[in-house]
Amino acid sequence: MKLKKYILFAVLTICFTACRKLDLPPPNVVQDPDVFTTEPGIRAYMARVYSGLPVEDFRYSPRGMNDFWLVNPMPANTGEALSRDLNGATSENFEYFQMAYPQIRDINYFIQTLPQYANNYTEDQVKNWLGEAHFLRAFTYYALVKRYGGVPLVDRVLNYPDETIEDLQLPRESEEAIWDFIATDLDFAIENMGEENQVGRANKWVAAALKSRAMLHAGSIAKYNQVSLFDGQKRVCGVPAAKANTYFKAAYDAAKMLDGKYSLYKESWSATDKEAQYQNFVDLFFDEDSPENIFVRQYHYPESAHGYDAYNVPRQLMGANGYSAEVNPTLNFVELFDGFPKNANGTIKTLDNNGDYVLYDNTMEIFADAEPRLRASVVLPGDIMKGQSIEIRRGIYTGAVAGGISKLVPESSTSPYPTTNIVSASNLAENLANPYTLPNGDKMTPAGLSGYFTADGTGAVSGFSVRKYIDPDRATADVLENRSDQTWIEIRYAEVLLNLAEAAYELDAAGQNDNNYLQDAFTAINQIRERAGATLLATAADLNNVDIVRNERRKELAFENKIWWDLKRWRILDKEQNGTVYRVLMPFYAAQAGKYFLDARLDQRNSRYTFDVRWYYQQIPNSVISRDPKIIQNPGY
Amino acid sequence: MKKLIYAGLALALFAVTSCSKDYDNYPEPEETLTGSVVDSETGEGIQTEAGGNGTRIRLDELSYSDNPTPYYFYSMQDGTFNNNKIFKGHYRVSVEGPFVPLLQTDASGNVTVDNRKELDINGTTNVQFEVEPFLNVEWVGEPVYNAADSTVTVQARFTRGTSNPNFQQNITDVYLYVNFLPYVGNNYRVDRLSTQVSYSGDTAPVGETITLTSSNKLDQHRDYYLRVGARISYGQNWYNYTTVKKLTIP
Repeated sequence: MKLKKYILFAVLTICFTACRKLDLPPPNVVQDPDVFTTEPGIRAYMARVYSGLPVEDFRYSPRGMNDFWLVNPMPANTGEALSRDLNGATSENFEYFQMAYPQIRDINYFIQTLPQYANNYTEDQVKNWLGEAHFLRAFTYYALVKRYGGVPLVDRVLNYPDETIEDLQLPRESEEAIWDFIATDLDFAIENMGEENQVGRANKWVAAALKSRAMLHAGSIAKYNQVSLFDGQKRVCGVPAAKANTYFKAAYDAAKMLDGKYSLYKESWSATDKEAQYQNFVDLFFDEDSPENIFVRQYHYPESAHGYDAYNVPRQLMGANGYSAEVNPTLNFVELFDGFPKNANGTIKTLDNNGDYVLYDNTMEIFADAEPRLRASVVLPGDIMKGQSIEIRRGIYTGAVAGGISKLVPESSTSPYPTTNIVSASNLAENLANPYTLPNGDKMTPAGLSGYFTADGTGAVSGFSVRKYIDPDRATADVLENRSDQTWIEIRYAEVLLNLAEAAYELDAAGQNDNNYLQDAFTAINQIRERAGATLLATAADLNNVDIVRNERRKELAFENKIWWDLKRWRILDKEQNGTVYRVLMPFYAAQAGKYFLDARLDQRNSRYTFDVRWYYQQIPNSVISRDPKIIQNPGY
Repeated sequence: MKKLIYAGLALALFAVTSCSKDYDNYPEPEETLTGSVVDSETGEGIQTEAGGNGTRIRLDELSYSDNPTPYYFYSMQDGTFNNNKIFKGHYRVSVEGPFVPLLQTDASGNVTVDNRKELDINGTTNVQFEVEPFLNVEWVGEPVYNAADSTVTVQARFTRGTSNPNFQQNITDVYLYVNFLPYVGNNYRVDRLSTQVSYSGDTAPVGETITLTSSNKLDQHRDYYLRVGARISYGQNWYNYTTVKKLTIP
């Protein structure tokens, strides 16, 4: 009997202790309670989601997202710029679709799990984080819908193997449903989030700003899109035109919420000083305390860096990695601005009334009164950067100048320059090795130190170089790949004003009159123009064309990876890029006259841009369709 | 050593037997689908471009699955097509291009028109689609070579090809395409010679004779192929074309 008791005791002991041990969670795997019970845990979770957020920043190009090698810059795809490495229209060459859903799962998991641990925090904290997660989800769905139209709508954690593969193969939702889902998520975020958060994270105003962007996009699709694709009863491509005003109104209301919360950056601005206006616009991209910054992504060397400076500095400021001048603004872009002589058709006037070139003492003379925002966005030939005059010269004209120099090649020609009377250089080494002796005995290199070089394209192929976002204080020794760490401003107040102006203009054009929309659009445009140092609109009635609003956007937000999406949502890119060759401005030095002249012409590299209308809705990756046959492909692929 | 030989033999045996003489257990795709896309009014082929944004044939092999991955190929530029590497089976065949689509839906996605065809492809199967082009583009007279400035001038006319108001969007542009090869269209053209005229709103001169001149000098002593295309703002903005005309420059 006693023995039996002992045996029983022993058995029970073994059983219970053993069982308890087996119940222990594996100590080398981070568990939900480790993450969700502490603020640092939540912060770490958020950091991961933010790092995967589809922000189209310094590491975005048609090659990829969060990709370091930025040699196919997006501005060279929109007519903003030319680049030696991107010579024609392209769509994105990577598949965002697959990158989005793991991100959405992480966010859904957060939304589902946090409430179980809510008793560790104050009610406000929980609301704030849930709001933030909804903001992040909306941001991700916006990146999907603007590329693909309607996509599968996943608003919960999908459980495999509890649910079968067949049940989890979701079809595409209608495009309208996705836009509405984004609006709902952002409304939740606006309602639940606080007004403050860490830099680089969202607050309620960020959610409102994103809402103005997304709803403006949705309204534009409703108004301008012609493509229609149905999956059963669901319109997966296209939004009913009747929804346009609803979305424009939502964009307008969301933008209005930011009134007084943010303001345009004017720290060193002066109403009377163009130089100050120029400097102010340069500084706007570098002041961490700018009241204009709404949502930013920070970089910090060496943990997280990019190579924007290395890829885009003018040739003469090139760093040791050997990259430079990938973004060369087109003359078409420069001609959007005012402040230099123009022909009746809006093109730059560099010829006199006899059709001969106007001669200038230097290449900056014609731009002396140019709009400050232009100088701050673009390095004009001969302008100063990092203390150096950026020398951009196509070549030296050695022919006679008496009686005027007539146009070297016709305006509409892409043919090369004649070789007689013109000295040029194929690359920098050759340029430095073969200086030309001027009539007065001085030596001058045929091309400028920053181009144009006929062979290797490392210089300013358009006659201009980009200035926006180039760090003005970075030493040339530090102009390296993965060495730059300036902050990317994903949403700034100027964009919100432009969203407001565009939505208001569209509402006014559609005959909506519950607000004085045209007046609001007028005020917003003039705020932007005043800060830019541009000519103001005199009256609201002058705002009589949607292109006034759109061009303001193109000028203000150039080189910020936004314009491609704008041109797409306006559905005008196929008309703008239809065998299109962009214009360039080539400065020459006339040796006999000792003066410069400027030749406006078509890109002599003959880079032709044709936007394929199918790209308004990008191709859904075939691998996605083979995994989920319920997903139907977009038209034309 | 012996072990090694045995292992080697075993491996060789495995390698030989595992290699099947047949590539797979399906018969080869050796059926032929031919056909054409013609104007339902005139019976003539719908002129299109080769590849790119030309007429595309879509096959759904329904005998394989209710929801198969579609198989696409392009028609030739005169609207005919011919594919002799198709698996035997039951298919739904449709075409898409510069004509009123075979499958139409109303604003809520209900199918209103479905002119797609279901057929068995077996041996040589012929199928013809009678469609309404968006535009009829036709030559007016013959191209004229201007010896004085080495350019070519053509006259053409475009009219609506369908009375369906859903497919009467504005005509955005008309294009004179010039190429060195008989393949000529929006995707095969010599840019410096071809000429585009754009129209804003509904200003396009429907039914009127328009005159287009090549935008640069043509070279002497060679053949050029000319074509005029026009398009409406619908779908993939396909162009409708005239036939191809050859111009020999003396």
